[in-house]
Amino acid sequence: MKTWKYLFGFLILATAAIWLAVFLSPDKNLHLVACDVGEGDAILATYKNFQILTDGGPNNKVLDCLAEYLPFWDKEIELVVLTHPDADHYRGLIEVLGRYRVDKFLTNGTEVSTSDYQVLRNWVGSKENIKEGVKIRAGKIRLDTLAPKIITPDKTNENSIVTLLTFGSFKAVLTGDMVPAVGDALAQNWSFGHVNYIKVPHHGSKNGLTENLLKALRPAVGIISVGKNNYGHPAQETLKILSDYDIKILRTDEAGDIEVVSDGSSFWIFH
Amino acid sequence: MFTKKLKKKLLFISLVVLIIFRFFATQPHYLDGQNLRITARVFQEPIRYSFKQSLNLLGLKIYLPLYPEISYGDRVIVEGEVKGGELINAKLISVTENKNWLYSLREKIINFYRSVLPEPHASLVAGIVLGSKSQIPADFWQSLKNSGLAHVVVASGMNVTFVASFLMSFLAVFLPRRRFLLPAFAGIWLYALLAGLDAPIVRAAVMGSLAFLAQRLGKVAAAWRILLISAVGMLLVKPLWLTDLGFYLSFVATGSLILFEKPIRERLAAIPTFFREGLATSLAAQIGVAPILFVTFGQFNIWSPFLNALVLWTVPPVMIIGAIGGLVGLVLPQLGELLLYLVYPLTWWFVTIGRL
Repeated sequence: MKTWKYLFGFLILATAAIWLAVFLSPDKNLHLVACDVGEGDAILATYKNFQILTDGGPNNKVLDCLAEYLPFWDKEIELVVLTHPDADHYRGLIEVLGRYRVDKFLTNGTEVSTSDYQVLRNWVGSKENIKEGVKIRAGKIRLDTLAPKIITPDKTNENSIVTLLTFGSFKAVLTGDMVPAVGDALAQNWSFGHVNYIKVPHHGSKNGLTENLLKALRPAVGIISVGKNNYGHPAQETLKILSDYDIKILRTDEAGDIEVVSDGSSFWIFH
Repeated sequence: MFTKKLKKKLLFISLVVLIIFRFFATQPHYLDGQNLRITARVFQEPIRYSFKQSLNLLGLKIYLPLYPEISYGDRVIVEGEVKGGELINAKLISVTENKNWLYSLREKIINFYRSVLPEPHASLVAGIVLGSKSQIPADFWQSLKNSGLAHVVVASGMNVTFVASFLMSFLAVFLPRRRFLLPAFAGIWLYALLAGLDAPIVRAAVMGSLAFLAQRLGKVAAAWRILLISAVGMLLVKPLWLTDLGFYLSFVATGSLILFEKPIRERLAAIPTFFREGLATSLAAQIGVAPILFVTFGQFNIWSPFLNALVLWTVPPVMIIGAIGGLVGLVLPQLGELLLYLVYPLTWWFVTIGRL
């Protein structure tokens, strides 16, 4: 009698798990999520079972975001990009590496000596240093590395990795903490046409976004990944040029996680 | 000379005096501004916040950076300056992992949960099975506190009670009743050690052991007497528990269960058993616990007993499947993974209710 009861419970749970798995399984769209991690960056791109996580934010809040947007059985992240080794970009990655299988870990090659960065360093089995010009393809997703061209020693934001994510005709630029000089240089040689999405550099700092860049990229939406801070992020100047160019501004401190979904031709915003 | 009653009274008074004396005698004395170097083993799981972790060593509260991560059982060396019960400007000199099999078993099982399930599910399972609360995401922890469900995840006596009753029915298959005592003791205390020796766990383990003992000796165990003996015994051994909120909550909750659970259950006869058990238990516990929570935290959720009733039934299956899945996963990761997926529908339900 008791055995039957256990068997019955087991079957119910198995059925429920399968139904949840079916119900929560990914669609055929690209989901680009600016995770609400407070003052910091964590941008998740997910397409079917393929994920790219760009930066991990300053704490373990990124785990909530991954749990929310990945199916529960998927504990593998195909690619992690650390734009540059600042705590508000890498610290959350320590928790990510402890819980997810990360296939590829890209950095700009610079390092810092803080104790928590060393913990991260020990977690990462093999990492690859990349520069401008690297292309990664996975099905319909393409990731082009646009910066850094050269590494400036003893600087951090100057060396931030900048990537262009393409999915069909949908284009998003992920800028990390890119500085104005790099942005202006990118704008000068811009050959990718208009983009749909820009992650506004450096949490909306005035030491980030430039008008030249907006003129060249003409993004439709500007995402500012920002939380409570003492730096005055996002700067009034940045907000002003964004609205001057009629760009829809979305901030993680106001909207929480910001999810942009694209089928490869058009896109929708959820927040 | 003395009547029996008077003897009892005298014994009780002298025990109370002894506890108070021990409390002050064992209080460590630090001077503000004193520089200290503490070498100690961590006997309570450190709490991890967004940007720091906090632990208690020799009665001092210590905040350290999040990394390197300190776990229950580790031996640490910390330096800092004493200021009002806290060690400020604390610096971690070294942390040595405990190589004891019990602690590493605990670590390995928790890590396995984390590698299979997403958050907060992994932490929830780790909390329910092993009483580990250190890694619960801050947001989820807050919503659990708001809804009055946090007790399920922290090391609570409920876990020990489940282990004890599970052991009972398990042992009954192999052994005659009179030979239960040793294996039951071993099981309960092994679990208590695994779960971390927090006051509620120790309380439940002591009471569970006393109940087993009374049964073995053929005595009728008055629940009240066991409760009182456990409290006095624990305070004699560790007077510092006098200042531990968890200690009071645990005893008050158990006391109110003894008093109110049965009458409430009888009055709820109209409600289906499935729902009634959890509702009666949490209503009964709340009678004692709610005022304490309200005075200390200034918050109390009137819906808490109903939310508890909605989720408490998931706890035993999560505990059993989680424990089996965790152990199997150490040997056969793939099979352990499949077993843990069976827990997901239950934790999904728990998380959904917890976030209401």
